[in-house]
Amino acid sequence: MALAIFKGRGSLGTERAQEAFAGYAFIAIPLVLFLIFNIGSLFYSAYISLWRWGILGPTAFVGIHNYQVILKDEVFHTAIKNSIYYTVLVVPIQVALGLALAVTVNQIWRGRTFFRASFYFPSIASSAAITVLFIYIMSADGLFNHLLQQIGINPLTFHNQGDWLGHQDTAMNSVLGLNAWTTSGTMMLFYLGQLQSIPTEVYEAARVDGAGPWTAFWRITFPLLRPAHYLVLTTSVIGALQMFDQAFIVGSPDGNPNYSLMTMVLYLYNATFRQFQFGYASSVGIVLFVIIFTATLIQRRFFGTADWAAAR
Amino acid sequence: MSQVTVTARPATAEAPLPRESRIRGPLSRGVVYAILILYSLLVFVPFAWTISTSFKTLPESLALTFIPQNPTVNAYITAWTQLKPVLPVMFLNSFIIAILATATNVFFGALGGYAFARLRFPGREALFLLVLGTLMIPDQLRLVPVYQILVNLQLITPGPENYFGIWLILAISATSLFIMRQFFLTIPFDLEESARIDGAGFFTAFWRILFPLSRPALATVAILTFQGTWNGFFWPLVIMQVQSHWTLPLGLTQFRFQYSTNWPPLMAMTAIATIPIVLLYLFFQRYFVGGLSSGAVKG
Repeated sequence: MALAIFKGRGSLGTERAQEAFAGYAFIAIPLVLFLIFNIGSLFYSAYISLWRWGILGPTAFVGIHNYQVILKDEVFHTAIKNSIYYTVLVVPIQVALGLALAVTVNQIWRGRTFFRASFYFPSIASSAAITVLFIYIMSADGLFNHLLQQIGINPLTFHNQGDWLGHQDTAMNSVLGLNAWTTSGTMMLFYLGQLQSIPTEVYEAARVDGAGPWTAFWRITFPLLRPAHYLVLTTSVIGALQMFDQAFIVGSPDGNPNYSLMTMVLYLYNATFRQFQFGYASSVGIVLFVIIFTATLIQRRFFGTADWAAAR
Repeated sequence: MSQVTVTARPATAEAPLPRESRIRGPLSRGVVYAILILYSLLVFVPFAWTISTSFKTLPESLALTFIPQNPTVNAYITAWTQLKPVLPVMFLNSFIIAILATATNVFFGALGGYAFARLRFPGREALFLLVLGTLMIPDQLRLVPVYQILVNLQLITPGPENYFGIWLILAISATSLFIMRQFFLTIPFDLEESARIDGAGFFTAFWRILFPLSRPALATVAILTFQGTWNGFFWPLVIMQVQSHWTLPLGLTQFRFQYSTNWPPLMAMTAIATIPIVLLYLFFQRYFVGGLSSGAVKG
């Protein structure tokens, strides 16, 4: 009894110490994992990148040699070009699509939950399942070409002869379409959350002032969605620069056909698990990180720092 | 002019508006519904096509028929028995990893979230920022170091310790900690004080009082983690290199390279890999939607 009282109402000093001890103990395991596998990895990666480092470990210190090789490698140039081409196109498409879906879904009451749930569904299915399905639909005898024929277009007359993923001119654009389709659901949800926070009085006022619906959209809705724009753009750009699963599954690790699906991350994967050049691969990872980080900083510059709390 | 309209406002504003007219857009209702229905077709037809093909014969899988002429479950039998490893093994591998990752994300997410939200200790805010900062590090940058560390720990092997290796990488995410912390900040602070006065330790107060209270947030973390791990491609590809450890996404990818155009079994496998997520989505849709916005810190 006396012990219980002592334990519960111990002096302020021990109480504080106990609380701090519990605090550290409760975060200890996650923190150790983060320190090793996230923050530690960052430094370890930078370290490895300075070595010739194979599957059996480091063999020679080479300084910045790996970085010099990267800059000269033509396949890496292709990979950067592909990743940037993909990012520059897919981001506006999926963001515009997500915004259009959000605004349209937001206008209705009946069936709103159904449509919202449907449009988000492609975003939660696995990339492997969706990509294999896509390969089937876009194959020469696939559903897409069948539907083209139904409306009187003969895919064999195209210069890719209806082989959308097998021809180097159309493979990347097809994957681009696939990912715009899957990701737009996520973008829609981000925008819907923000749309619902706009008070309807604003629209009433605009209507009374004689603003048409399009004017109201461009002058009121679009600017008021600014926090969502920031969030949607940053997540899209980061995701697009890291595109890997679809390129790997459609084009195999080679990024077939003819390197047209070789992305930066696919290049990194190849350096690691096909050439087993861990030192070189690490420097590719660092370059990739710098590119992603710079892209994020540039966007912050243009769109301001909308704090993440605002997007909820 | 604007003066007149401002004085005219209260009359319209006070009149109760019917729900439907509250949100206006540039398009008429008919056009809006037409667009929505067309886009839902674009979403559903591919998945319906998967199901349909999985019951077709190989020749028919290349034809434009939505209802199979000679429905057959051969594709499922092939997928279930002919693959290497067989489908039940891959299903089990996916399930084991998803359950392990979910259990630790829920437990450590809640425990750590509780500490970050409600316990006072020096350096708390700095450590929390550090945790959030890990979201800025792309997985790909971690590829080589994580692989090298796991090799050094002898966890990239054909043995069962391989599962422990991937578990270490997926055990806890900053997003889980963030969701739980935000939730615990919303609960009144005097709640566990009374328990503390009764002599309960910090862990008892957490485990008996706060953990049971946090069911909605726990469900969000659980569902997001399960879905993310089940669908995960990158880390299993890197860590689970032995064929018998393949998860469904890995198997699906490999068989796409091997089977290339044997569509019915591939579609049967696609359907089986997607069904658990569909069920989860049907029953727990609000957690998916809610979790997305709380997980929005990513990036």
